[in-house]
Amino acid sequence: MIKLLTRLMKYPWFILALILVISVLFFSVIKKNSRMETDLDKYMPQQHPAFVFSNQAEEWFQINDGIIIAIENQDGIFNTKTITKLENLTKTLQKMKEFNKDDVTSLYTADNIIGTEEGLDVKPFFKSVPKTEEAMAQLRANVLKNEMIFGRLVSTDEKVTVIVAEIEDDVFSQEFYHQILDIVKEFEGPEKLYVAGRPIVEGTMAYLGPQDMQRMVPIVILVIILVLLLVLRSFKSTFFTLLVVLFSTVWTFGLMAALKIPLYAVSTMIPVMLIAIGVADGVHLYSHLHLFLQEHPDASKKEAVFDMLHGMWKPVVMTSVTTAVGFTSLLTSQVYPIKYFGMFTAFGVMMAMVFSLLLIPAGILVFGLPRWKQKKKMRDENYSRSAGFVAQKLVKYKFITIFSTIIILAISIAGIGKVWINSSFLEKFEKDSDIVLTDKFINQHFGGTSTLNVILAGKENDIFKDPAILTEIDKLQEAVEKLSVVGNSFSLADYLKRMNKVMHADSEKFDRIPESQDLVAQYLLLYEMSGDPDKLWEVVDYYYQKANVTFQLKNDNSKAINSAIAVIEDFDPAFQELGVEVKYAGSGYKSLVFSNLILEGQIYSLLMSLVIVVLLLSLMFKKISVGLIGALPVMITAIISFGIMGLLDIPLSTTTALISSIAIGIGIDYAVHFIERYKIYAAETGSQDMTIRHTMYHSGRAIIFNAIVVIAGFLVLLFSVFPPNRVLGGLVSLNMFTSFLGTVTIMFIILYMTRIYFRSEKLKKKEQENEDQKNNCTYINSCPFHSGNFGSTDRVIRFADH
Amino acid sequence: MAAQTELSGLQIIEKVYNRPEGDDMQGDLMMTLINSRGNQRIREIKQFIKNFGEMEKKIMFFISPADVRNTSFMNWSYDQAGKDDDQWIYLPALKKVKRISSDSRSDHFMGSDFTYDDLGDRHPSDDNHNLLREETINGEACYVVESIPKDDEYMYSRTITWTIKDKWIGLKKEFYDEDGELLKTLTVKKFSQIKGIWIIMMSEMHNVQKEHTTKMQLSNVILNSGIPANKFTERMMRRGLK
Repeated sequence: MIKLLTRLMKYPWFILALILVISVLFFSVIKKNSRMETDLDKYMPQQHPAFVFSNQAEEWFQINDGIIIAIENQDGIFNTKTITKLENLTKTLQKMKEFNKDDVTSLYTADNIIGTEEGLDVKPFFKSVPKTEEAMAQLRANVLKNEMIFGRLVSTDEKVTVIVAEIEDDVFSQEFYHQILDIVKEFEGPEKLYVAGRPIVEGTMAYLGPQDMQRMVPIVILVIILVLLLVLRSFKSTFFTLLVVLFSTVWTFGLMAALKIPLYAVSTMIPVMLIAIGVADGVHLYSHLHLFLQEHPDASKKEAVFDMLHGMWKPVVMTSVTTAVGFTSLLTSQVYPIKYFGMFTAFGVMMAMVFSLLLIPAGILVFGLPRWKQKKKMRDENYSRSAGFVAQKLVKYKFITIFSTIIILAISIAGIGKVWINSSFLEKFEKDSDIVLTDKFINQHFGGTSTLNVILAGKENDIFKDPAILTEIDKLQEAVEKLSVVGNSFSLADYLKRMNKVMHADSEKFDRIPESQDLVAQYLLLYEMSGDPDKLWEVVDYYYQKANVTFQLKNDNSKAINSAIAVIEDFDPAFQELGVEVKYAGSGYKSLVFSNLILEGQIYSLLMSLVIVVLLLSLMFKKISVGLIGALPVMITAIISFGIMGLLDIPLSTTTALISSIAIGIGIDYAVHFIERYKIYAAETGSQDMTIRHTMYHSGRAIIFNAIVVIAGFLVLLFSVFPPNRVLGGLVSLNMFTSFLGTVTIMFIILYMTRIYFRSEKLKKKEQENEDQKNNCTYINSCPFHSGNFGSTDRVIRFADH
Repeated sequence: MAAQTELSGLQIIEKVYNRPEGDDMQGDLMMTLINSRGNQRIREIKQFIKNFGEMEKKIMFFISPADVRNTSFMNWSYDQAGKDDDQWIYLPALKKVKRISSDSRSDHFMGSDFTYDDLGDRHPSDDNHNLLREETINGEACYVVESIPKDDEYMYSRTITWTIKDKWIGLKKEFYDEDGELLKTLTVKKFSQIKGIWIIMMSEMHNVQKEHTTKMQLSNVILNSGIPANKFTERMMRRGLK
């Protein structure tokens, strides 16, 4: 490896040019092929039984998410002007090509089943808008009497009425949303109009997130550049470090585009990972170079580069390979976007490794050594002294660190218990955003903007004409509606209760399921003859073998859906006995299943990557104990990350779950660099005391630089307007910080306490010898042992001569 | 051809409307409803129709499915313009006759894809007719007439009828929705002459937008058997099929 690298370094120009050309090629592929996946269904594992079933049920019963447009008139909606507005808006929506005419429901399109003295009357509430007061009063009376409409299409305070327009999953687009907003605006005043519903929320989110990112990312990069300049104190170093990140990102997305894999929302996490990891390699390399030149001010750039490669290629390769393998554990996920995320981040990490080992040295060879600003010598001495000081203090008060680590971990583990998965889309928005307020408004006046579909399936035909089963459905609805989060529900039972009541001269006594199956069948026949039979097929199938019960929820979060499901499951045994199977469907339910899958997969792959990391590190360092110690930062970072999420009530979602992957990427990097240095110094000095101080200076410095750069960059996201992006920024920063702290404190202390690398007799002897010199060796600059790595200068020169 | 006088669209449609149907008719109607997934439901109905000059009375009894057997339905429709039909239903499980008042013309007949108008009750004067061309389909020479309703609120924006020359049977009809798009196609599959009167025995209505189909099949047709006028009463509805 090192031979190959040194040989390649003979042609630095060629390497720079080659990488640049391939990058440009990849970039053009991205331009040509890259596309964002906006259909949320495509994110879900379509072959998963829950999704297969839900999609099937959605097709059986035409379950679609609806856009809800509310018209509010403070003086009540029952006046000619407001009702005219309702009719015109309904007609306008029906004419839009995105809607099926029959999928737009409002008071204007709804059928009114009413009982009269002599019988049954099924007809529209109005054909032309009532002009007289009597006619309007009649319309109002009809609405108030019909519990299938009142409280569902017209609010019970009579101030709001809604139009529900259902659309297919793939129809929604940002232009379409704006088109609707424009239409709605035309109808505004004096009535107030509101637009809500899951398609709106999903669509806005798909648009707002990336838009916000586009705004924030340049600032993030700018801050990273500034901080890199501060810590590296060189334009050239900053430039090449950034190139490593940039090119690895371009190659990764280029490969994705070349393989025609679309971009998913989680794909935006790839550059996040690559920034955190790519910067690390650059910082470690330059840090090493810097230290070497400090000791050998007269060394040529060739000598410096070869010393850097010699000293660092191993840790860079080790960290990258472990990180990459860690990410490939995500391949076990059932969710394709996450599989791709793991696969391509691994690729990106390997590319960052290649570029770090090629671009940075080639850059130095071509453009010269970085020119550090002067007066740094003093500063470096300070660093060195403080690093030594910190190391010593840490060792001295090691039990404080161990104790506080245990406490922090205990608190975090308690916090993990509180972590909950949230599949809510709405809660991703600001609490005072239009979209949340509108949703709240509609939820106040109506059953709810979110739905859960319960699909009941029997074995024989006509089973849903059986009064026993219908009564059970009615009981189920009643029980679930008792939850405050459930607004109302709708099923075949509602039709039958309504028909039964109407056929008994509107007597409340008959607002119940008919007693005989024949009567049920005859009512249904009657409904088919006089109403719109298509409406029936939304609650029951053609053979009355499957039924769809719709619950309207006032909240789309997982707690709401789960609380409803918990009540429904109580009815499971009763339905089982009646030969009916209970299942769920709908977009809210799918999101819930999806989130659970992500969480399961994430925890599984985290555990798996932990095992892989331990194994790889054990292999690399040829000691199982080192493998275990090296995995410490990963574990600590992951545990604290989840713990903080639990404690701060940050729910798990697709992106927040993935942030814990940073623990793998960064935790390993830090641990490997640190341990590798430690090992080298141990072999060189034989003194544990000197080893810890030098390691803390060499590695600790690079680690803290890396952490500062990335943390500073991602803290910028705290000023984002889109809450999920703020959470992302905060959590990435937190993970970087805990990785850093975990490495230089607890891992360091345990490394120290186990006395690994200091156990052999030979070393002990050497240590003894060194103890004597200890006092002369406080500063690195005057330390005879501090000469880098395998670190003798003549060896470097030998390579250079070669 | 040259000798034959060109008929106008209106004349053709009037000839169809006025085609003799006999004084009364009874028969078994089998209705097959097929949804977009190919699911089928079959309803068998016994029906009696009698012409009373100014009005037509119709009574129907469900034979199957079993759970609706003897459910009966009665309809009186009037020639007088603007007068709504009177309709009654009897549900044996409820043992009550109920009136159904609804906007009947555009209602679906027995939950099928046919509306009452589609069954041939629409008066020719309600539309403007226009002879488009002559065409031969299924070996029958037809007039192709476009009919556009005078009332632009009507459920169809236009219909096109293929009428068999001489027999005055509409062999095929296309219905266009309010947006001018094809909504349904009616195809007559079989017609027979009974006592000199042309009767449509088998027809199929396909709703292309909903992909729903209704097949109607008539059998055991008896014409002009002198069905008594008192067959069309609530009492008979209650009595059901014996």
